[in-house]
Amino acid sequence: MKNRARHENRWALALAAAVAAAVVAIGLAACGGGTVGGGNSGEVSTAEGGPATGKLTISNWPGYIDPGKNGTVAEFEKKTGVKVDYIEDINSNDGFFGKVQPLLEQGESGGRSIFVVADYMAKQMYDLGYLEEIDHADLPTVFENLEPSLRSPAFDPERKFSVPWQGGMTGIWVDTSKAPGIHSVNDLFDPKYKGKVTMLDELRETVPLVMLGEGVDPAKASADQWLHAIEKIGNAAESGQIRRFTGNEYTEDLTAGNLVAAIGWSGDASLIENPNAEWRMPTQGCTRWSENMVIPVGAPNTAAALAWMNFVFRPNVAVDITEWVEYISPVKGVKELLEERESELAESPIVFPTEQFTRNCTGQNTPPELERVNEAWQEVLTG
Amino acid sequence: MGLRQRLVPYWLLAPGLIWLVVFFVVPMYFMGELALRSGSLTSGYTFDWAWSNFPDSLSGHTEQIGRSFFYAGTATLLALLIAYPLAYAIAFRAGRFKALLLFAVIAPFFTTYLIRTIAWKTILSDSSPVVSVLQTLSLIPPDGRVLATSGAVIAGLTYNFLPFMILPLYANLERLDLRLVEAAKDLYSSSRQAFLRVTLPLTMPGIVAGVLLTFIPAFGDYVNAQILGGTSQAMVGNVIQSLYLNQRNYPEAAALSFLMMALILAMVVVYIRFAGTEAFMGDEEEEPA
Repeated sequence: MKNRARHENRWALALAAAVAAAVVAIGLAACGGGTVGGGNSGEVSTAEGGPATGKLTISNWPGYIDPGKNGTVAEFEKKTGVKVDYIEDINSNDGFFGKVQPLLEQGESGGRSIFVVADYMAKQMYDLGYLEEIDHADLPTVFENLEPSLRSPAFDPERKFSVPWQGGMTGIWVDTSKAPGIHSVNDLFDPKYKGKVTMLDELRETVPLVMLGEGVDPAKASADQWLHAIEKIGNAAESGQIRRFTGNEYTEDLTAGNLVAAIGWSGDASLIENPNAEWRMPTQGCTRWSENMVIPVGAPNTAAALAWMNFVFRPNVAVDITEWVEYISPVKGVKELLEERESELAESPIVFPTEQFTRNCTGQNTPPELERVNEAWQEVLTG
Repeated sequence: MGLRQRLVPYWLLAPGLIWLVVFFVVPMYFMGELALRSGSLTSGYTFDWAWSNFPDSLSGHTEQIGRSFFYAGTATLLALLIAYPLAYAIAFRAGRFKALLLFAVIAPFFTTYLIRTIAWKTILSDSSPVVSVLQTLSLIPPDGRVLATSGAVIAGLTYNFLPFMILPLYANLERLDLRLVEAAKDLYSSSRQAFLRVTLPLTMPGIVAGVLLTFIPAFGDYVNAQILGGTSQAMVGNVIQSLYLNQRNYPEAAALSFLMMALILAMVVVYIRFAGTEAFMGDEEEEPA
């Protein structure tokens, strides 16, 4: 017994010593401590052009191109001899940023040469010094065929660091066999559909849709109005009205028949194997967004990355992408090519939305007091 | 004993120690340092002894911490109730099928954790046969579901960590000296008494090891809640993920990770004390004084 007590004392002493040593070590090291975050303070570099060879790694969202044997990626490989590693590892803007941020902070991109991210995320990355600038002289095909309306967006007026990939709308996917009557975001809060509804975990898409449903203009909304909408969503989550918050996974739930409706993206038909699923423009309007190819700092083989950008802006390539993904193409002449191919998509309001169709839609607005609003939103997501 | 001989044990320890230092002590140090920083991503996180990160990281997350306890505890209990009879049967009743049954216990591990968990999503989807059977038997309401409920998360945890319970129990039961049970019966104990007073106490080390191996990873798990859970099933792992990846609040994420580690450590210490170190380490010879 005595023996045991002595044993314990020794352990307690060792533990105390270890803790003390750790605290002292942390303190000492912190005096000379490096920084975490804060962005790269160095000069912004410009992506280097040149002949495309070697290997190219592209990070994109799932279902954003045909990665198959006869798809666009394979065609690029055949035409240029560049070996493409096309990875679909982006499931949400925030989640992807969180994953790569520590790398970018070190000036590395994890081998990737292109990311595809939303406008606000591209801007955020650029402001932190995580992106390389692009020289328009290296991108003749891109700027020859870029839709005029996309030439100088507010977040990057000179297209210094971003090249549009695809655009789309966030609205409601409805399983018409189960709930043909859903047209408004407000219908998603109808107790009839309890537990059969999902929403996206993107702050800038889901919350504005709910605000539109309440008659609030998200572009002019105050932080309190954002928080009010978040509270409404939070209550619905707590009551079990909302089944889950998702990224792309809502497409799986729709395929499995678990849902009557989901807040989702207009071009995701290729990911949803459910003939009754239909994307609907919410009565009170949608969220419009566009996504961009950007070149991160430390990107290897930027010449191949620039060649890729030029390649996907060839109208005959862009039309293949549109046919496969059904999003809004940034490339001029796609509509005419679709008409030549006698594709129904040429008439689709989802692929070629008219101003009348999107009259109530709003952009991907960033809320005032972002940190506070985002914290409230994250609390809802991890309720 | 020569110097060289005395150094041998240290040489043998070296690979393990180096591993621990490189993959545990060093990362722990960086995590501890991160937990004491403050600032934001845009301005950079600077080190300033920000102890307030610790209480801050707990505030507003007590519900998820409590939930993690409940889920991991329930899953551990269920795993124990399933694993004990199974391990017992494999150890004493399986005969020539012993190896095959053990293989069956381990076989799911040949598929990755994530794939197995996602497979459950298909099996348990609302229109699946499993769910309609449960509905017909009135075990869930007619419009009820399994996915995106607490039940699904607990079931996922139980399923995924079950082998960690079975294997230590089996290893322990396997070495059980059956003559002791016979002796108990010779002394007129019933089968039940023999089990409760001989078998069970002798297999305590297996139970303790199994409980620890199941509870600890289950407590920190976030995959099951992410994939099988719904809106009110987030566990503490999901909170840390959200703090780190979505809110970029690295210091609070690190502080919360630290607190959870300390909490588990404290619980394990109390648990081992309660169950007895002998139960954990096996029956050690008394050290000569």
